[in-house]
Amino acid sequence: MMSSGVIMGQYYPASSPVHAMDPRAKILISVVFMVVLFVGNNFYAFAIMGAFAGLAIAASKVPVRLLIRGLRPILFIMAFTMVLHLFLTPGPAIFKIGSFTATWAGLIQGLFIGVRLVILIMFTSLLTLTTSPIELTDGLEDILKPFTRLGVPAHELAMMMTIALRFIPTLLEEAERIMKAQMARGADFESGNMVKRAKSLVPLLVPLFVSAFRRADDLAMAMEARCYRGGEGRTRMRQLRMAARDFVAFGLVIVIAALVIVVRIRFGPVVSRV
Amino acid sequence: MPIEVRSLTHIYHRGSTSEAVALKDVSFRIDNGEFVGLIGPTGSGKSTLIQHLNGLLKPTSGEVLVDGQNIWDKGMSLRKLRQRVGLVFQYAEQQVFEETVRQDIAFGPRNLGLSEREVMERVEEAARMVGLPADLLDRSPFELSGGQLRRVAIAGVAAMKPEVLILDEPAAGLDPRGRDGILSRIQEMHRGGMTVILVSHNMEDVARLCGRLLVLNKGELVADGTPREVFSRNEFVKKIGLRAPDVVNLMEKLRERGWNVRTDIVNVDEALKEILRELGKEAPVLS
Ligand SMILES: Nc1ncnc2c1ncn2[C@@H]1O[C@H](COP(=O)(O)OP(=O)(O)O)[C@@H](O)[C@H]1O
Ligand SMILES: [Mg+2]
Repeated sequence: MMSSGVIMGQYYPASSPVHAMDPRAKILISVVFMVVLFVGNNFYAFAIMGAFAGLAIAASKVPVRLLIRGLRPILFIMAFTMVLHLFLTPGPAIFKIGSFTATWAGLIQGLFIGVRLVILIMFTSLLTLTTSPIELTDGLEDILKPFTRLGVPAHELAMMMTIALRFIPTLLEEAERIMKAQMARGADFESGNMVKRAKSLVPLLVPLFVSAFRRADDLAMAMEARCYRGGEGRTRMRQLRMAARDFVAFGLVIVIAALVIVVRIRFGPVVSRV
Repeated sequence: MPIEVRSLTHIYHRGSTSEAVALKDVSFRIDNGEFVGLIGPTGSGKSTLIQHLNGLLKPTSGEVLVDGQNIWDKGMSLRKLRQRVGLVFQYAEQQVFEETVRQDIAFGPRNLGLSEREVMERVEEAARMVGLPADLLDRSPFELSGGQLRRVAIAGVAAMKPEVLILDEPAAGLDPRGRDGILSRIQEMHRGGMTVILVSHNMEDVARLCGRLLVLNKGELVADGTPREVFSRNEFVKKIGLRAPDVVNLMEKLRERGWNVRTDIVNVDEALKEILRELGKEAPVLS
């Protein structure tokens, strides 16, 4: 019930060039890609970026079906923004509903935002689908390391993320078990008004927190028993190394970024503002 | 209130990569007043099976009938079913959430919509049934020991006065006194007329307490009979990763050494009698 549809943060194990890439390269490429996606202001830019995303997806061996399933949770937000744009952009009318006017400019703007969101979600889910949580946090830690001097606790942040990722499935499982145990005692999580429903969560949340705190305590103890004392002087079992493929991929993204900027200057925004 | 399971199959996460067949074509019937033990190695589907009996899980195929009625038929109330078929989860103490023991035990009966007076009567009766001293009732559950907390959780279900009580390893992780205490309370509830289904990994316990055993292995019901019938197939029991009670193995070893003793013996008293008979001695008068 809880695991349906949500693919953000899920790993799809496979052996592909994308899986084999250095996590740092993948994270940086994703960040650059996102920025470029917002620099692009017309459909030519999206054609270029879509082609790149398509290439990456094909190379990753992740089933497209899975990526499309990952779009489901944001379908509502997408529809909502598209409708908003359709009606709130000024310009020549297509049709009217009451005092709301749908415009051609709005239609194009709405589509534009929709396409942007689809590319964004697909590409970023590709990052988590092809990178195991461990690699992801290792990569993140390395990327944040230069900022430790500015007071960013890089190692601690990465460790917290690792632990959180590790325990999310455990907590979901536990939530389901406790929920069932309370349902066996006649608890009702489904009916009633907002207040009643919020109240009905108490028998679920109290045991869940109690057990989460106990787990945290046990884990801290187990980590200390094995001499964990933060990031200082800590070495890695798996060293990260950039390889040729990482540089090639990065070069490709830079080319894409340049192209998008050229297209932006040459063609201008999708809807020219009046 | 007889419970009947017909060709029950359960598949978790059907159609996804983590698809798992937990139960395969399981059928049996449990009558009023039985004390049934459900045994099988870890992962054999015991917990999955019992969650079908009170409608917490829906069969992938097959049906569950209570009083001859399919519990998933339209117009059947699952909440009413859950009052009549009480289920105590494994590590049930983790479900405790109220400020006092009394309030926690009252959670179930309150959900039944009983009057406050009746709720309190039931709380006290259930506490007596599971052997909780009355002076613990107004303490915070988080001050109690593991064994006491387990009793609170069992009382929380017993207070709903179910006709069938299902317990998933109620004695797991307790010290010997805690486990004997809880098991003898369960035995008393059975004598009081409840149908009991006990999931356990302790073969001595089920051999001593249960009139009938259901054995699951890899999601299939592989044996259904009295403890004597099940454990006398010692080779088979070993093969699926269980271990018959020590006395069964003792009698077999004696027999291998040429003693002329029966091997279909499942508890210590029977074994003692048989050994003394073989030795030609009278059973000592038990004081
Ligand atoms: N919530 C669940 N999701 C997916 N698979 C599960 C779930 N619960 C149990 N299983 C699987 O079903 C099988 C039977 O599990 P379970 O009924 O818990 O067995 P038992 O109680 O006998 O140890 C196991 O293979 C287990 O991994
Ligand atoms: Mg189990």
